[in-house]
Parts: sequence; structure tokens; C-alpha cells
Amino acid sequence: MAAGGAAGGGSGRTYSFKVVLLGEGCVGKTSLVLRYCENKFNDKHITTLQASFLTKKLNIGGKRVNLAIWDTAGQERFHALGPIYYRDSNGAILVYDITDEDSFQKVKNWVKELRKMLGNEISLCIVGNKTDLEKERTVSVQEAEGYAESVGAKHYHTSAKLNKGIEELFLDLCKRMMETAQADERAKGNGASQSGASRRGVQIIDDEPQAATAAGGGCCSG
Amino acid sequence: MSQKFERRGIHVDQSELLCKKGCGYYGNTSWQGLCSKCWREEYQRARQKQIQEDWALAEKLQREEEAAYASSQGAQSQPQPSLAPFSKFEEKKTNEKTRKVTTVKKFFSPSSRTASKKAPSEKVEKVPGARERHGETLLRDLRGIFTPPWEMVSPTEENHEGKTPSPSVSRQSSTETDRVSRDFVEFLKNLQKPGREIHKQCRAFIESMANKKDLGADELSECVQDFYQNMSDRLLTHFKGSTDRVERVMDQVEKYIMTRLYKNVFCPETTDDEKKDLATQNRIRALHWVTIQMLCVPVDEEIPEVSDSVVKAITDIIEMDSKRVPRDKLACITRCSKHIFNAIRVTKNEPASADDFLPALIYIVLKANPPRLQSNIQYITRFCNPSRLMSGEDGYYFTNLCCAVAFIEKLDAQSLNLSPEDFERYMSGQMSPCRPEPEAWPSAGPGISPALREARRSLDLLASLEARQERVLEGARTLESDLIDWQESVEREVREILGRFPLEVRPPASAIDSDNVENDRLPPPLQPQVFAG
Repeated sequence: MAAGGAAGGGSGRTYSFKVVLLGEGCVGKTSLVLRYCENKFNDKHITTLQASFLTKKLNIGGKRVNLAIWDTAGQERFHALGPIYYRDSNGAILVYDITDEDSFQKVKNWVKELRKMLGNEISLCIVGNKTDLEKERTVSVQEAEGYAESVGAKHYHTSAKLNKGIEELFLDLCKRMMETAQADERAKGNGASQSGASRRGVQIIDDEPQAATAAGGGCCSG
Repeated sequence: MSQKFERRGIHVDQSELLCKKGCGYYGNTSWQGLCSKCWREEYQRARQKQIQEDWALAEKLQREEEAAYASSQGAQSQPQPSLAPFSKFEEKKTNEKTRKVTTVKKFFSPSSRTASKKAPSEKVEKVPGARERHGETLLRDLRGIFTPPWEMVSPTEENHEGKTPSPSVSRQSSTETDRVSRDFVEFLKNLQKPGREIHKQCRAFIESMANKKDLGADELSECVQDFYQNMSDRLLTHFKGSTDRVERVMDQVEKYIMTRLYKNVFCPETTDDEKKDLATQNRIRALHWVTIQMLCVPVDEEIPEVSDSVVKAITDIIEMDSKRVPRDKLACITRCSKHIFNAIRVTKNEPASADDFLPALIYIVLKANPPRLQSNIQYITRFCNPSRLMSGEDGYYFTNLCCAVAFIEKLDAQSLNLSPEDFERYMSGQMSPCRPEPEAWPSAGPGISPALREARRSLDLLASLEARQERVLEGARTLESDLIDWQESVEREVREILGRFPLEVRPPASAIDSDNVENDRLPPPLQPQVFAG
């Protein structure tokens, strides 16, 4: 769904995608995205003021893509705010730490929630970060990949420290979001009405997740 | 200019210096050769003409639109005098202002809450003077906050009660609206023909909205959003897909129509926005005891640059309420966020992640208690151009603000890592989080507001200054006594020496010859001898 695409007509069309980063506090979300957008890791010379909202312009197969990456607060006490963040997003990157079993359980919770709220419109990526600490691994590769497949998500292994697997992760995600946007367009006839249906901004949702589901569902279908 | 100066040195005709209007006063080149008085008149006339032209254009467009509407709608439409919507607008504007003041009053007098609900329609606020600007309105509102409710109703205000302001006077009061309209017309002039089309559309839309004021907030929002959608679709076709230019035009369109619609659609009567505002305000006030440590905010207010950023962030988030255009409100949130990022960056020496940012924003919102927070959030959600809100940077910060508000609303003991008992006690005001011992003043600590800490620091400084002054005075006193001692000792010494060597004055020596006893033994003095020659 979403703002995906829409902007631009004819050959020079531009896709705009919103991607949320979800995951527990210390799994390395920020490092991941800083590595991708600034190619820096734990660098004292990082010039950006913040690493919570970053953008990246890409060109994939002659199509321009504007990627907006939204970091989310990972602390447990902010978990309930998730729906406000991932509303209208085209993709979600769910990060866990391969040395931390708990963080993988958190990812499972997020997946359940996202699928319930946004259905299959959202492209999910499950990312096992910190592969440089392979020796301390506690989440098995088979388990993680098997789980990803079972929920229709793609699984990736990355290391922000060694800069491994990050480019592939984002490129792959962009391609999938483009496919979704194109399929969506074909289904709806034209791009304008599609973005019209999903254009309403952010709203504070009620504490009942059911209410939010209804709102989200209405937005997607209508 | 320089040429003129050179010539002046040689010869200047008196008539060249006089006002070109021939009023007899001297003119000035920077006023096109007129004297100050004539220039002012001339300038005013030109400006008035410009304004009138713009209004004439607007009214012409409006009439065209109405004619088209009437012909399309046939019998069911009611033709309106072209000026009616304007005066209607102005009336509503004044109502809005009155309501603003009464809202403030309401915060201070909970008992009158129900009664004041009717106030806006009964009482019309003092007609603002011709020179009144937006800033002054704001000032008055601010004054309202600091003035007890019983002083709020000034005699002048009551004198005007029930009087409807004449449209011409109140129009002058809406300087901002006029300025925005003028800017908009100026901007559209660059676009030429499509510009006129856009203007026509916007005017027609504003008129249509004036008739829809009874609709609920969601329907109003729907109307505005549809308008944005249609407009940007058409612009997209016109500019052949250049999204940048579409965005630029859409920003102006948003600014224009929202400045005009603001008073009707901000916190409308049909919603419970106002009630929510009050609830949030009270909630934040009840949470005054929440400290930076409970929220785990990575901000160290001991560092002057950090506390400076915190103050700026608070100012910006409060300023949001004074803006009319959704995009300007968003800009305030963005500025506030940037200051927070700066504070985090200085404290932690690394770029802020969302894990740091959200708690910091919550802290800022708690400290600032921004006026009409819910109304502003709802207003932005309903009427902001969606392209900004969906994926842009502004949208991200706005989302975080929504999160912060949601968090504050649902905040409980667990989210602050407190035991439920402590939380209850703090909330009921029976206890406040432990403060550091008074001995530890300079190092301060949790639970102490920066201002208080600053005051304490100043007190310490004053105390040390006092001690220093004491020391200086002491020194001065010893110096004084030293000087006296020294003087005495010198005197004593002199006396002593004088005693030891008394001054003996001998009689003066007599004439040279007086004691020359052997005088007669000397040969007689030579006598001059005379020679006859």
C-alpha cells in the first residue's frame, strides 16, 4: 500500500518508500543504518546530528527510489507505540542480535503484530546482526531462516562492524517493495487513487489493538 | 550618490534639493526626491492600489466562480452577495480570538468551565487597533496566562461588548491574512495563466468551505485532503511530472488556504479536541515530578550548551501553537527535534538514535507542557499536505511527537521503573522523588530543575564573593593600621634622633676684621701717590 510510488509520471517516475527499523535496544539498528547511509561504524567523525531518520536515494533498473528509514525506539516500555511508527510503511527491517536469543523472540512478536496490522502489503526483512560474533551465536541459522520462510519474510545475515550483507539487504528490500507497489498499481488501475486512499497522516491510536487493526485494515482495503 | 556629492562641491541648484511635489520642504533621493511627508502619502497610495487590485481580482474570480456554480446547480443554489462571505469570515475570526482568551481563562477557573462554553457567542472581544499584529495578539494571550482571571476582562473590553466590529476595521486587524494573500498572488503571478487558475480554485474552495462549517472535523479534513489531491494531480499533469515544482506550489496553496480556514477548522466546536487539550495539560502538570533519570534521557543539563539546547527545544515546541499553517507548525517540531539532537550529541558524543531521541522528546514535552497540544496534533493530521506527513523528515518528528503524547497519556509505574506504590504517591503529591542533600548543592542532581540549580549556583557564587570582599576589607584594615604604625614609628625615630643629636645653634661669625687682633702689626696700606707729570 502506501505512499509507495505514486509520485511522478511517465518514464522518470520516482518511488518513495518508508522503511521502519524495529528491534530491541542493543541489537545494532543504528549501526546498521549508519553503515548503510554513511558507511561508518562507531566512528567519532560521524557528521550527522542524528541517526534516527535517514534517507537514501537509489537507482534500481532505471527507476529512482527515495528511501526514508525510520528508526524506532527499541526499549520495552515504548513497545506499545509501534503502530504509530509503522503506519503506512512499505517495508520493515526486524533486527535481532545472533548472540541474544531474547532479541529473536522480540522479532517474532513484531512479525506477528505487523502481519496482523498491515497484512501482506508490507515487505518484511528479518536480519541477524553481529555475524562478526559468530562464535557466540545462540540463535541457530536453521531456526531463524525456517521461521522467516514460514511468515513470508526474507532472512539476512549482516555485520555492521565488518560491513557485510547490508547493501544486499537494502537493495533486495527495495526491489521487493517496488514489485509490491507495481502489483498494487496494476490492481488499482492507476497510482493516483491508490495514494489517495492511503494519504491520511499519522494518528494516535487507542490502546485497544483491535481498534487500531480496524483502522489499519480500513485504510488498506479502502 | 557619489556623483551627486562631487557635484555638490561645485554647484547645486536649490531646486534640485527641494521635494519634487513642490511642497517647499527638502526632498531625499532615497525617497525618489520627495520629502518624507509626500513620500509616505505616495507610498501608501501605491500600496492601497495594489491591495485593491488584488481584492478586485479575487472578487472578480469569485463572481465568475459563483456564476458558474449557479448555472450548474440551477434552482437549488442561493446567490449570495459577493462580499458576504468576507464579513462572515471576519466575524468568525473575532470569535476565534475571543475563544482563545476564554480558553486561557478556563485553565484558571475550572468552576466556570461550563458557563464559559457559551461565552464566545455572547461577548465580542475588543476591536483590535489598526496596527495590531499577530505578535501582539500572542502577547495578549501570554498576558492572559499570567493575569488572574478576574483581571482579564478590562473595562474597554466590556465597553465593546455586543458591538459587531465593522468589516473595514477588523480587516485591518487581519494583517497576517492580508500579507499571506498578497504573497500568494505575488507567487502566482510568476506562473501566469495557470497561476490565475490556481487562485480561482483556491478562492472557490475557501468559499465552499465557508458554507460547510457545520460539518464534522473529519468531513472538513476529507474536503481539504481531496482538494490537495486534486490540485496536486492537476499540477502534476501541468508541470509534466516535476514533483519539485508541484511541491513548491502546493506549499503555497496550503499556506494560503489554511491561513484562511484556520479560525474555522482549528479545534472546531464539533470535536472534543478542547477537552483533550485540557486533559493532556492536567496530565502533564500532574507528572511534574518525572525526572530525566526516570526516563533515561541521555542529556546532561550540567553542560551549558546542552541546557541551552534544551531551553531552545522547549521554546520551539511552545511556539508551535502560534503558527497557523500546518507546515509552519511542523517546522517548529522539526526545529525542536534538532535542538534535542544537538543536546544528545553534545552529551553522548555520537549521533542520536531513536532510542535516545524519543525519551528526550518526552522529557521536553513534559517540561514544556505545550499549549493546546492535542488540538495542534489533530489539526496537523487533518489538514497538512500528506506528502510531508507521510515520509518526509518533518513527518518523522511529528510521528515521534505523537508517540511522546501517547506515552505520556498511558505512562504508568512500569514505564518509569518505579514501584506502583511510589508512582501513586508521587502522582497524589504525597511524596516527591528524593532530592539530593542540601550539602551537595553545587553538584546538584536528579529532581532539580535547571533554573533552581542555576539559582543555587549563583548563590554559591555570591557567597564566595562575599568571603572575598571580607578578605579584601580585612586587608584594607590591616593596611590602614600598618600605615598608622609606620607613621608613628617614623615619628618616634625622628624624635629619638633629635634627642640624641640636639640642634645647637651657634652665634653667627662676626665681621672679617673684628677679631683681627694683630691688625696693627700689618704694614700700612699702600697709599696712592700722585706724580706731577
